[in-house]
Amino acid sequence: MDGVGLHKRLEANSGLLIFGILLVSAIGGLVQVLPSIFQDSLVAPTAQTTPYDPSELIGRDIYIREGCGVCHSQQVRPLLAEIKRYGPYSRAGESAYDRPFLWGSKRTGPDLHRIGGRYSDEWHRLHLIDPRSVVPNSIMPAYPWLAERPANRGPDVRRRMRALQALGHPYSEAEIAAAPAALAGLMEIDALIAYLQGLGATLNAGGFDQASRTAPSTREQRPHSADGGDAHFAPEAAG
Amino acid sequence: MAGPLRQGNCYHPGKATLTQRLMSMHPFQWFPFRSLLNPTAAFAELSNAHPDPTRMFFRRILWLALAPPAFVFVGSSLFGWRLGAAEPLRLPGDVLTLIGIGYFLALTFGFVSTAVLSRWMASTYGARDQLGVHFALVTIVAMPIVIASVCHLFPHVFINMLALIPALLWSLYLLYKGLPVALGIEPERGMLMASALVGCLLVGAVGLLGLTVALWTNGVGPTIGI
Amino acid sequence: MAVEQAAGRALRPAGVYHDRAVTALVLCSVVWALLGMLAGLYVAAELVWPEIDFGREWLSYGRLRTLHTNAVIFGFGVSALMGTAFYSVQRTCHVPLFAPRLAWFCCIGWQLGMLAGGLSLLAGWNAGKEYAELEWPFDIAIAVVWVCFAVVFFGTIAKRRIQPIYVSNWFYGALIIVIAMLHIVNSLAVPVGLSKSYSLFAGAQDAIVQWWYGHNAVGFLLTGGFLGMLYYFLPKHADRPIWSYRLSIVAFWSFTYAYIWAGPHHLHYNAIPEWVQSLGMVMSLVLLAPSWATMVNGVMTVAGAWEKLKTDPALKFIVLSLAFYGLATFEGPMMSIKSVNVVSHFTDWTIGHVHSGALGWNAMITFGTFYFLVPRLMGAPLHSVRLANIHFWLALAGTMLYILAMWGAGVSQGLLWLSLDEIGELSFSFKDIMASMAPYYALRLAAGLIFFAGVLLLAFNLFMTVKGRRTIAVAPPKTTGF
Repeated sequence: MDGVGLHKRLEANSGLLIFGILLVSAIGGLVQVLPSIFQDSLVAPTAQTTPYDPSELIGRDIYIREGCGVCHSQQVRPLLAEIKRYGPYSRAGESAYDRPFLWGSKRTGPDLHRIGGRYSDEWHRLHLIDPRSVVPNSIMPAYPWLAERPANRGPDVRRRMRALQALGHPYSEAEIAAAPAALAGLMEIDALIAYLQGLGATLNAGGFDQASRTAPSTREQRPHSADGGDAHFAPEAAG
Repeated sequence: MAGPLRQGNCYHPGKATLTQRLMSMHPFQWFPFRSLLNPTAAFAELSNAHPDPTRMFFRRILWLALAPPAFVFVGSSLFGWRLGAAEPLRLPGDVLTLIGIGYFLALTFGFVSTAVLSRWMASTYGARDQLGVHFALVTIVAMPIVIASVCHLFPHVFINMLALIPALLWSLYLLYKGLPVALGIEPERGMLMASALVGCLLVGAVGLLGLTVALWTNGVGPTIGI
Repeated sequence: MAVEQAAGRALRPAGVYHDRAVTALVLCSVVWALLGMLAGLYVAAELVWPEIDFGREWLSYGRLRTLHTNAVIFGFGVSALMGTAFYSVQRTCHVPLFAPRLAWFCCIGWQLGMLAGGLSLLAGWNAGKEYAELEWPFDIAIAVVWVCFAVVFFGTIAKRRIQPIYVSNWFYGALIIVIAMLHIVNSLAVPVGLSKSYSLFAGAQDAIVQWWYGHNAVGFLLTGGFLGMLYYFLPKHADRPIWSYRLSIVAFWSFTYAYIWAGPHHLHYNAIPEWVQSLGMVMSLVLLAPSWATMVNGVMTVAGAWEKLKTDPALKFIVLSLAFYGLATFEGPMMSIKSVNVVSHFTDWTIGHVHSGALGWNAMITFGTFYFLVPRLMGAPLHSVRLANIHFWLALAGTMLYILAMWGAGVSQGLLWLSLDEIGELSFSFKDIMASMAPYYALRLAAGLIFFAGVLLLAFNLFMTVKGRRTIAVAPPKTTGF
């Protein structure tokens, strides 16, 4: 029987057609996507990658809530110009605790995967509340409301950490119990800044090899640049 | 009315004054310019004419394709390219010449391939299939863009876009309006053929863009860090 | 297809096509087009004048842009697809809808779900995955409505009175099946309260799953679904069969097979395995063949039916949509080539590419279909052919301007970001490049305004057509079974 004749039988049988579509469309996913889901090395954290601490976690959730990822990628490609502009290129393991991933698809603003430690907390505060006060030509929206709300709004941070713990993030019970206290007195903007300052910070300070997994992520040790907006990912700032 | 004028084409260059020569010229020889002012008449004239493809190529297309590169050459050497982000980009003369020649060849290829493509489609849409007519059609349609390319004299990317985009839309309008008249088919059929051409031209344009970018990333053109 | 028309109760209700849910879906789709594109215009304006969010959360770019994409894809697009699927499946099977009440549930459920979902996006409920931003309660609601959609659609096919299943139904069927598969897998998450969940997948794995979803939402919804629309409404407009039946078979199966592989081209040079990227690129290139096969089929079908353009203003839109479909399906594979993608990725070129498909192909073919469908559903002639013609030119000009502005912006960004000076240092700072985008963004806003003006004309035209309606009921032809 020729191809068309064969197809005539297929298209006369709705069950066969449904099955055919499902089968043919599933092959790609089975061969290409499924192996990745079971390839643990893809999500093995790098030596410097630790689960987000409570304020970083809340900050990340705010980043998602405000749709920051619409304009900011978090993925430095292994290209000379990108490494010069942003810093060491992104490794898969760095995103091991990212649910969902936030690599992004558009850079209306600059990439943020290596933003940690480049600017002072105070710069970020000014920039988030009124971007044009520090970067005159910026087209970034202002986020004044972040400074007016406590960081512990919304679902309780312990519930968030438990959910992640269930998904395999190594939070201890003590860490979870202490989380509300860590957020006490923080505003949403503080949490978001904590998250941003943590992005690639260990890399910016010492590179992949020097930083060790056990190194405490103390924000005080990070270099603070108080140069305001001039060095906003300008060539000279991309050390 | 076109009849006597067409016979007048056989003038004697030695004897005639300039005015007489202009008066006696076949309307075809100046219609590309009139097409800007009165496109309907230009297309109507074309519908009765049988231009010779070789003549159209050497007397029209080559010159139309020469103008934009010439403007770019002059503009870039005088002012440099402004991409908007920084100081004007000044390129050495030999590079400019190379770019100019490349631009000229690309435009010539674009004009010719559009005409050939249009003739290739003609049978599907029942249109006239003399190559000369398609050449002439392309020259009329491209006229607004060529005229607007004067803006290359000041090569600022945005100013150029501001001038070229309306010209492009005007050309698009001319294509839809003029194609059925010039090729002697019903407006509805012309609309189909014009849309098919637009599709091909868009694909050609984006293909050219992709090719350019691929050349950059393979080391031809500007220095990029990849 | 011969149809008998009769007013009101001349036929038993069971013997009449169920078109009222179709009408409702079509009109809702127009409302979504207005809302979604208005949101799009507003975010385009925010990129020119960032102050116009007035410090309000719900007007903030990140939230409003998410609303824009969801409203146009899932509000406008899916409502149109659902409506036309219900319309065409009855006519290609010669039977009224299976479970018409369930069809009404699909219609109302989808509209309420999208409305509440849209508001939730403005409130900041965001799952953080592109084109899958709605949070888990809405994901469940979508899945439920989608299953009902499948039941109505395949139920109607199962009780058909024509043995062969027509080609438009293959595409609508693939839309339903594949989107269900993608949606369910990609939305797997652990909820933390109503408004928040964490994806079951992490990091690089999440990226691969997300773009398997994201690319094929484009593939099977914005391409495949609308090809179903094309395969039914183009032959109806043209009043002649599709040009090549063989070509449609080959195109359908190769499309269904190949599209699903192409997702990783969204992750070129990202931290995923090299082989996944390369495979994604190769399959994206392969995809050009089935995509263009369908285009050729459409172009050749309409080429022989040019007389229809005299009486059918809507056919124009479909003709032009094929041209932009040709562009978008060429541009996509081209941009998946790594040496092009390295420049185009993360730039506005991507935005331009999406809109050449979304405005030029999806919106245009939907407008053409609505101008055809609404008069038939209403039993009244289109209010104004002239307005539809003006709309055509506005749509064409708006789309062209949008694409050109984004080509300019995207190629500049890509080049300037990567550009190195003679000593090998970066030539331009990011903020200078960003600032230089302002004119392009203004041009894009103008393009959006032109396109939106056309949609306003469409809405007015259809509204006036609906006002002039009379009751109509269409019975299936009296064919005898298999």
